[in-house]
Amino acid sequence: MWYRYLVNQWKMVNHKMDNLFDVIVVGSGVIGSSVAYHLSESKKHEVLLIDKGFPLSGTSGSTQAWVWVHSKTPSWYGELSMLSAELYPFLEKKIGDVEYKRTGGIAPFFNEAERESALRLAEKQAEVGIEIEVLNREEVLEKEPSLSPEIAGATFSKIDGNVNPFRLVELYVKAARKNGVHCSFYNPVNDIEKSGDIFQVKTQKGSFRSKKIVLAGGPWSKELGKMLGMDMPVKQVRGQILVTEPLQPFLKYTIGGIRQADNGEVLIGYSKEEVGYDRRSTLDVMQQTARMAIDFIPALSKANIVRCFSGIRVMPEDGFPILDEVPGMEGAYVIAMHSGITLSPLIGTLMTELLTEGETSINLSRFSLERFNGIQSR
Amino acid sequence: METDILVIGGGPAGMSAAITADRAGARVILVDESFSLGGQLRQQTQHFAPLPGSEEKVRGTALGNDLIKKLEASKVKILKKHIMIGSYRNENIGVTDGEKTFAIQSQKNIIAPGAAEKAKIFPGWTIPGVMTAGAAQILINRERVLPGKNAVMLGSNDYSLEVARQLKACGVTIKAIVEDKEQMISSDMELLHDMKNVPVYLNSTIESATGKEELNKVVVKTPAGLYEMEADLICIANGFDPIIEPFEIMGCNLAYHKELGGWLPEYNVYFQTSNPSCYIAGNAAGITTIGPVLLTGEIAAIGALEELGFMEQEEAEAQRKELWKELAEIEKRENEKTFRARSELIEGFHQKIGMAFPEEFNMVNGGAHNG
Amino acid sequence: MDKSTIVCRCEEINIDEIETAIKNGAETFDDIKRLTRCGMGPCQSKTCFYPVNEIIAEYTGMPLNEVSLPRLRMPLKMVRMSTLAQDSEGSNVVSVFGESVEDGES
Repeated sequence: MWYRYLVNQWKMVNHKMDNLFDVIVVGSGVIGSSVAYHLSESKKHEVLLIDKGFPLSGTSGSTQAWVWVHSKTPSWYGELSMLSAELYPFLEKKIGDVEYKRTGGIAPFFNEAERESALRLAEKQAEVGIEIEVLNREEVLEKEPSLSPEIAGATFSKIDGNVNPFRLVELYVKAARKNGVHCSFYNPVNDIEKSGDIFQVKTQKGSFRSKKIVLAGGPWSKELGKMLGMDMPVKQVRGQILVTEPLQPFLKYTIGGIRQADNGEVLIGYSKEEVGYDRRSTLDVMQQTARMAIDFIPALSKANIVRCFSGIRVMPEDGFPILDEVPGMEGAYVIAMHSGITLSPLIGTLMTELLTEGETSINLSRFSLERFNGIQSR
Repeated sequence: METDILVIGGGPAGMSAAITADRAGARVILVDESFSLGGQLRQQTQHFAPLPGSEEKVRGTALGNDLIKKLEASKVKILKKHIMIGSYRNENIGVTDGEKTFAIQSQKNIIAPGAAEKAKIFPGWTIPGVMTAGAAQILINRERVLPGKNAVMLGSNDYSLEVARQLKACGVTIKAIVEDKEQMISSDMELLHDMKNVPVYLNSTIESATGKEELNKVVVKTPAGLYEMEADLICIANGFDPIIEPFEIMGCNLAYHKELGGWLPEYNVYFQTSNPSCYIAGNAAGITTIGPVLLTGEIAAIGALEELGFMEQEEAEAQRKELWKELAEIEKRENEKTFRARSELIEGFHQKIGMAFPEEFNMVNGGAHNG
Repeated sequence: MDKSTIVCRCEEINIDEIETAIKNGAETFDDIKRLTRCGMGPCQSKTCFYPVNEIIAEYTGMPLNEVSLPRLRMPLKMVRMSTLAQDSEGSNVVSVFGESVEDGES
């Protein structure tokens, strides 16, 4: 039995006798899976998707999974998020129901001073086509009656929403496999070498060769980058999220910090801690989060908390996405960003354009490694 | 809230630990999630022996009441209806009383959450009328409610037969004992004698349990074919798992030892886990009988007391030596395999952390291997 | 056993759904949980953890002690939001125009 299982695992990857792929994607989180899927759409490339664990075992399986746009600044970053959000309905037609819901997003504020910044935000975002309404208390409460009467107002946009991250990554991988992508999970990469034009990816389950590689390691980006002799300019950030028991549907919108899932559970989270790769939850943050939940939505005080989960997010040092070829190493690409759920449809598309045509429909200069000083490659 | 020693769990192990710690002068807080102390002893009307220092048989409930009396006469601060729900960043344990959640700052924790009954799945296990043997025992002895009239026992360990006997005494008909092994697990002559008129199906499983709203039919699959019987109660007695969740929260390393119930925290000869501030006691440290459960509580308390300076090293060693000797004697007599597995777990952990065996343990442990 | 037998009663997940997840490469309880919601309900896998690990062991041939444990989640027992919430003098809610807005995502 055990033997048969091993053989099947081996066959999944190794039926390619020469072990040479066009592209190897390392990391099967939402970004890596999206890249593998989008690459596979043309069915022209031999693609291998490798993960040290199993899809959803890292960051992409521990998120509130908003598809959030309207308060992302500066406006070029908001625009990028909007373009990605616009791809979701189409993506869903291709890979299946990922429970994407464009609910509209409400970001409440609690004092009048913040109304000024809300108005400035609306003005700035309008320049790139993101429509924001600045609502007063009555208008907010009319939209979402459960919100606290203590709030002063909110920004609102129709573009925001959320998605089921489990379905999203599962269906990216499923669709990619259907298009012929090879997958090798529970297979950590130990080293990457380049000889001539060919990359040699040494893994726990053997060596694979490829013409191009894409590193999408999320919080493990630094370790992977080292294999290419570079220091990825990213940090690890922990977020803790509370989950209630399933409640009658009562939240219509995605609220900044809170959303209700299809099954009625309410997810609440707003924390950011730099504690390395430590996925434990702490009562300190859980108690603060519970306080926030009640301050936002007083009726939640009666809800039961079933669990709390933590995710370690990757955060580029300046907060904005990285998508670039490694300087001095042709054919090797790195991708790392916060908000991967929102951005994955667009990033998968752009990476595919870059790998197959060498140019992209959106200028990638803002995502380059050059903007960080002192990025060295060997 | 602040204390020297925080004990989690007011069952026999936790009470025994708290009493020991209090006697040596430490400030102790005992937390239990129930509205009364005693843990599983609260519904265990069966007689237990041997107990530490005594061969006399004592009813579980009486033993519980005795410990509660000692505890109530002590300075131990007892927090009933308080539940440990997690820990803070600084490793303080967080408890809730249902109104608020707060931290208890302690020097050492003795965690004694006990064990949970292992689930067993078969078609229909989720319908009303199917429950664990422990749940049935709580119903008859604590709630004074009959869980059914015709019962099928799934599993044939001591606990299954004990509960069957108690159900029978309440007027419940035991229709069958179903065991998937080739022989009865229990070897307790008295219990087996009490069950002598009950049909036993070996190498057998429950094929299905059905009923409109409540259980009324059970089909047993035996090597000789399917047997259908009318029953409104199935008691699952599939053994126990140590409860590990509080230890996971405290970052204690776990190991798998089938003979001790499955996954459980690693601990050394002082019953100290890989988190030096956390000691372990009772069935969480390996499924065993009441005598060893009480002794592990005392040994854990002594370890904590010694580290905090409430007990001189010499005194602690002397006491520990006696307690270990007694634990070894009782456990080897009652279940040799359990003691051997416990010794293996401890030895393995000492090796892993490069900690020498104290003399008292070499003696009992050597005994386990030689005897 | 009948493949439609329920394993996780909180989320009503049966043997067939668990085996399908294993067929797709799942090797641990948590892999299966994320694909099926098995163990995500009120009991937080306390009941179904051993049965699920037994299915994994049987299906893959891995010994039980090598099948990893589910990641444990706080709170250990279900707790009311108001019971958990920190006491606060006034509100300590962060501004949505600060960092907070992106926190729900990854």
